[in-house]
Amino acid sequence: MTEYVIIGDGISGSSAAETLREEDPDSEITVITDEGEPLYNRILIKEHAKGKLPEAPISIHDEAWYEDRDITLSLDTHVTTVDTDEKVVRIHDGSDVSYDKLLIATGGTPTQLPVPGSDAEGVLHFWTFQDARRIKEYAEEAEQAAIVGAGLLGIDFAAVCGAQGVEGNYLMRGDRWWRYALSSEGAEIMHQGMRDVGVEPVFDSGLDHFETDDDGQVTAAVDPNGERYPCDFAGVAIGLTFNTEFLHDVDLEMDNGIVVDQYMQTNLEDVYAAGDLTRFYDVLLGEHAQNGSWGSAKEQGRIAGTNMAADGETEGFEWVSSYSITHFDFPFLSFGHPTLGDDHAERKYSDTEWRRIAFKDGKIVGGVLIGDLAPQSKFKQLMREGRVVADQKEVLLAETVDLDDLAPAQEQ
Amino acid sequence: MSSSSTVGRTVTLRRTETVRSPPRVRHVDELSEDALARFYDLVTSGGGSAVTDLTGFVDGEIIVFTDYYRVSLE
Ligand SMILES: Cc1cc2nc3c(=O)[nH]c(=O)nc-3n(C[C@H](O)[C@H](O)[C@H](O)COP(=O)(O)OP(=O)(O)OC[C@H]3O[C@@H](n4cnc5c(N)ncnc54)[C@H](O)[C@@H]3O)c2cc1C
Repeated sequence: MTEYVIIGDGISGSSAAETLREEDPDSEITVITDEGEPLYNRILIKEHAKGKLPEAPISIHDEAWYEDRDITLSLDTHVTTVDTDEKVVRIHDGSDVSYDKLLIATGGTPTQLPVPGSDAEGVLHFWTFQDARRIKEYAEEAEQAAIVGAGLLGIDFAAVCGAQGVEGNYLMRGDRWWRYALSSEGAEIMHQGMRDVGVEPVFDSGLDHFETDDDGQVTAAVDPNGERYPCDFAGVAIGLTFNTEFLHDVDLEMDNGIVVDQYMQTNLEDVYAAGDLTRFYDVLLGEHAQNGSWGSAKEQGRIAGTNMAADGETEGFEWVSSYSITHFDFPFLSFGHPTLGDDHAERKYSDTEWRRIAFKDGKIVGGVLIGDLAPQSKFKQLMREGRVVADQKEVLLAETVDLDDLAPAQEQ
Repeated sequence: MSSSSTVGRTVTLRRTETVRSPPRVRHVDELSEDALARFYDLVTSGGGSAVTDLTGFVDGEIIVFTDYYRVSLE
C-alpha cells in the first residue's frame, strides 16, 4: 500500500488528495497544513473582507470530507524539514511522518515591506481566511487607509476600501498600476475604476516608512517624497515569498520556486510539487514559467495526483491560466503570461474597454482584456494551437474577433 | 435578467444583492473556459441568447462576477 504525503491543503494540495483517492483507492493519504481550517476558497475571501459574503459559503471542505475519503488531515501542523533519503517529513512537534511519494504544495506568504514600521499593528497582508477576517474588522472601523503594491493582489485592498466606505490612497512606485502588463491607456481605465470606488491612485510614490502611535498602531504611510498619508490601516501586497524555507536541507532544484517538469516531478525521485510555488515546464510556452492562479493550482494538483498514483508520466500539465478582477463595473481578465513575450498589440475601444495581446515568436502567450471578455476563448484556443498570428494583429484587435478572418495556418 | 433555452431547460441568471446560505458560491475564475464563455454570453446578452450548454452550472449557485449572479436551471 503506497503512503502519500501532501504538504499544504490549499487548492493544489487538496485537488491532488482527491485525485489520489480516486486513482489509488487502497493507498494511505495524509494532508498536512499549518492553517487551522481545511480547504477554503482563497479567491472568495476578498468578498468576505468587502463585507459582501458570509463565512459559510467560503469553506470548501469540512473535516468530514477527509474522513469520508479516508484521508488523514493534520491541521495546525507545520512541516519543519523533509529528509528525502529517509523519506520522512518532520513536524514542528518533533514527530515524523513517512512517505513513499511526497507532494509539496505549500504556496507562498505575502512579502513584508523592508521598511521601518512594517510590523506595526494595522499593517495588513492578504493571504489567509484569518487575514480576511482581520482586514474586514479593520475596514469596518476605518475611515482612511493606505495601500502599497501595484499588482493583482493590491487591487483587492482597494476594493475592500471601496466596498467598506474607507477613503484609500493607493501608493504606486511608477506611473501606473500593474505596469508590467498594462500601458498607460489600459491602466487608466483601472485607475478610474479605483477613483469611482473612492480610492485615489498616487503615482511615483511608494513607501518609505510607516508612522505609529504609542501603542504601536499604524497612523500614517510616508512615501519616499516625504508625503504623509494618514491611515487607520495599511494594506501591503508587494509580492509572494514561496514557502520553501523548510526545504533548505533538501537538494531540490529551485529557481525562485520549485522547478518541475510538465508532470509536476521535481529533480528528486518521488518528490512532486504543485501550485503557486512551482516553476513548471510550460509546454505551450516552450520554457519554464510560473502561474499564480486558482485554476492553474487546482489543475497542477490534479496532474500531480494522477502521475503520483500512476508512478509514471501519464498526463502533462497543459493549461492557459486566467485571473479576473471583478470589483468594478467593467470586468478585467488576464490570461496566459501577459508580461512575457517579444512583441505585443493593444487597442483602446472605449473608456472602459481595452485589449492587449502578448506574442512570443509570433504566437500568443498571454494578454489582458478589460471591459469586453468575449475574445478570451478564441485567444486561448490560438495559444493552445501554437499558431503564428502576430503578423495579423488587425484581426486580433478587431472589436469582434473572427478567427475565420485569419490567414490559414502555415505548416510549422 | 439573462436566460437561454435548451431542449426543455433554461439557464437563467439573476443579479442578486443578498447571499445568506446559498448551496454554493463560486468566483468566475472557477468556471471552465467554456462555462466562462457561456456565462459571459448570458451576462452580456441581457435577455434571450444562444447559449445551449448547461454543463458547468449548478442550480441555485451564485457566481461572483462584476455583480453576484444567481443561476437557475428551470
Ligand atoms: C486575496 C487573494 C485573492 C486572489 N484572487 C484570485 C483570483 O481572483 N483569481 C485567481 O485565479 N487567483 C486568485 N488568487 C490566487 C490563488 O488564490 C492562488 O493562486 C491559489 O490559491 C494557490 O493555491 P496553492 O494550493 O498553490 O497555495 P496556497 O493556497 O497558498 O496553499 C498552501 C498551503 O500550504 C500551507 N503551508 C505552507 N507552508 C507549510 C508548512 N511548512 N507546513 C504545513 N503547511 C504549510 C499554507 O498555510 C497553505 O494553507 C488570490 C489570492 C489571494 C490571497
